[in-house]
Amino acid sequence: MASAKAPANHFSVLYFAAASSFTSKNSEHLKAPLKASELFAALERQYPGFKEKVLNSCALTVNLQYVDLDEEGDRNITIQEGDEVAIIPPVSSG
Amino acid sequence: MLLEEKNIHVELTHDLLSATAIMDRVRSPKAGAIVLFAGTTRDSFDSKPVKQLQYTSYPPLALNTLLSIARSIKSKHCLTAISMIHRLGVVPIGEESILIAVSSPHRQEAWRAGEEALEECKEKAEVWKLEEFEGEEDSVWRANRDGKAGVKVQKEGLDVKDATG
Repeated sequence: MASAKAPANHFSVLYFAAASSFTSKNSEHLKAPLKASELFAALERQYPGFKEKVLNSCALTVNLQYVDLDEEGDRNITIQEGDEVAIIPPVSSG
Repeated sequence: MLLEEKNIHVELTHDLLSATAIMDRVRSPKAGAIVLFAGTTRDSFDSKPVKQLQYTSYPPLALNTLLSIARSIKSKHCLTAISMIHRLGVVPIGEESILIAVSSPHRQEAWRAGEEALEECKEKAEVWKLEEFEGEEDSVWRANRDGKAGVKVQKEGLDVKDATG
């Protein structure tokens, strides 16, 4: 993995496609723990305009599992130290 | 990068794709038909000339997704075997970006399964296409969902290396 393991008390967040272009990063480490429902707001503070331009059309995975932020259960998920979170823009394979 | 189980093979690669190799993967004495789909990179989008395409991916997630698509299509259409390979990195115009091969005892199942596998892949696999247009500074991340261009990419900020690979 190009993204080094997160240091203590941090998790990794991976950016792809439009998310990577907007942040000019492929990945970074953020402070854990963090509620999944608070991630997009935290990223918006760091990258003003990110939410409207990119995040609103993106999905979210935690440790390769999709998290549905419209679902009560998923909103309560807490991102833990060492987790791998990814921002998934609309896909375009083929 | 690949995942395999019995009669199922899914792969992401930076190498040239080989139609013969993927057909050989699904070839079987039990099959009376192999259907091969080859997606090639087109030189235009909405009549705008495309100079170059590149694909990036989240490999561990994309492989899981491809495997789950392959499993479900194989069982739904009673296929003998299925293989799906997507190319990453720069794919020159006119070359294959994706190959899907399915084999089955009879052709009807193979035709249907091939089409369905491709549509599922385009909808779900975590692979992204960046289009660079002739005579334009900015490139564009495409979205299959609505066919719309996403965020424009400034040339100097362009970096589509796999975050994980």
